[in-house]
Amino acid sequence: MTLALRRKGRLYRSIAVMTFKQYLAYNLWFWVQLLGQILMMTVFVFFWRAVYAGRGTVGGLEQQQTITYILLAQMIAPLVQWGQILPMGDLVREGMIAIELTRPVDLQERFYIETLSSLGYSLLQQVLTVGLFARFVFHLQLPSDPAIWAAFGLTLLLGNAILFCFDWMFACLAFYSTEVWGLHVVREGTVMFFSGALVPLVMLPGWLQSVASWMPFSQALYTPVALLSGIIPAAQAPQVWLVQLAWLAALAVGSRVVFRLAVRKVTVQGG
Amino acid sequence: MRRYARLYWHFLLQRFKILLEYRMNFVIGAGSTVLLQAAGLLAVWSVMRQIPDLNGWTFDEILLVYGLITLSKSINHMFADNLWIFGRAYIRTGGFDRFLVRPINPLFHLLADRFCHDGIGNFVVGIALVLKASLALHIAWTPINIAYCLVAVVSGGVIFIALNLLTAVSAFWIIDSIPVTSAIFQTHEFAKYPLTIYSRGIGIVMTWLIPYGFASFYPAAHLLGRPIGVLAWLGPLIAVALITLAYRIWLWGLSHYSSTGS
Repeated sequence: MTLALRRKGRLYRSIAVMTFKQYLAYNLWFWVQLLGQILMMTVFVFFWRAVYAGRGTVGGLEQQQTITYILLAQMIAPLVQWGQILPMGDLVREGMIAIELTRPVDLQERFYIETLSSLGYSLLQQVLTVGLFARFVFHLQLPSDPAIWAAFGLTLLLGNAILFCFDWMFACLAFYSTEVWGLHVVREGTVMFFSGALVPLVMLPGWLQSVASWMPFSQALYTPVALLSGIIPAAQAPQVWLVQLAWLAALAVGSRVVFRLAVRKVTVQGG
Repeated sequence: MRRYARLYWHFLLQRFKILLEYRMNFVIGAGSTVLLQAAGLLAVWSVMRQIPDLNGWTFDEILLVYGLITLSKSINHMFADNLWIFGRAYIRTGGFDRFLVRPINPLFHLLADRFCHDGIGNFVVGIALVLKASLALHIAWTPINIAYCLVAVVSGGVIFIALNLLTAVSAFWIIDSIPVTSAIFQTHEFAKYPLTIYSRGIGIVMTWLIPYGFASFYPAAHLLGRPIGVLAWLGPLIAVALITLAYRIWLWGLSHYSSTGS
């Protein structure tokens, strides 16, 4: 009797310890990622303060504007970082793509809804964590005019849809190559720079600015953040939306066509 | 010692045989780190071309700091990358138990088990940056300077490895040590730029607590002839002290290790 009880006790204890460790692991990840973001934010703020030391404007921007821009850009950066090629690569490699394609739901629409929902979640999480840190430690200054916030919201939404359409085309490369990790890294490096996550794009030399303007990435980060930090005046918002709608129309059509062509190439591996 | 050198060579040969089976992976792995570095450097260049100096440091001087830490980091990346996945790939799977029954040092076995080719990209970038900076800054490559640079980079690499080893020991208890390791590792971002741009507190932490400063800023300052006193020479001492401490703690963790079973 006591022996059986003791055995149960040992069993339960090891289960409890395992569960505890599992939760600890997930929580640790959350805190470490948060720490990493705060760290990068700190590096950036000190870097830019040193850039502005004893100088009024750099590249046409004042210190306050640039710091606000950088803090916001660091908050938005995780939203543009990932793309669709890794999940698509998984679907192709595991052969799940065959099942996904037979479902009575359009695959691209499904991925878009998922992206939209994760945009909402990530935004909330970013505001409540690094956002509060930026506000109270680095005195992030935000506009009080609700019109600017509305313009920012719409621009962010449109920019996110544009980036999604680009990423959908890019993810189609998973049908041709199994080397998706390398492709992901190439995308990440390009997007981080040309979306304006590291430097406000207006500070780049002319030729780099024109390269950036021929890529869709700035629509998802630079444009909304520049609106919110006052680099782009709110009065220009309608023009911004026209440009964004043009991008969106072109990439939406493009992404449908590319997917339809690429999906013919699909070879379901295994099984 | 000689036996271990021979063993490492054998491990390395086997590893390269595997890597050459997948040539494309090899190229992409080594190339991808270069691309991420390029994005960061392009950003720094775009800003620095607008201003003469950053806290008294020119663009080329910052490249020297950046290049030195990239080199130190690449040593850790090439030779000690397994410390990252120690918990996930060796403790959780029980694979670490194999090492314990073999007649070689388990830590040596762990490190030698996987030479990481992704680090080669960083190594090449680091060399290129240091060379570019030294040419632009007219740093004479006298034998003394070359020796100083070699010792500084190796010390920096050892500091990286020691900090990753210290944090990897947590895997003996919590299995997946990657979050703990990356919490400390991430702070090397501070040491990519001259430490003088930060507040005093950050400078002290990066010098005495998490001494990545000795992998970049202090050797660069010395090579550029800036007066930093004894700090120019402390790097190797700190590296040896830190790796000794880390190894002691590793042994202590090892003695508390009970396999995950199954």
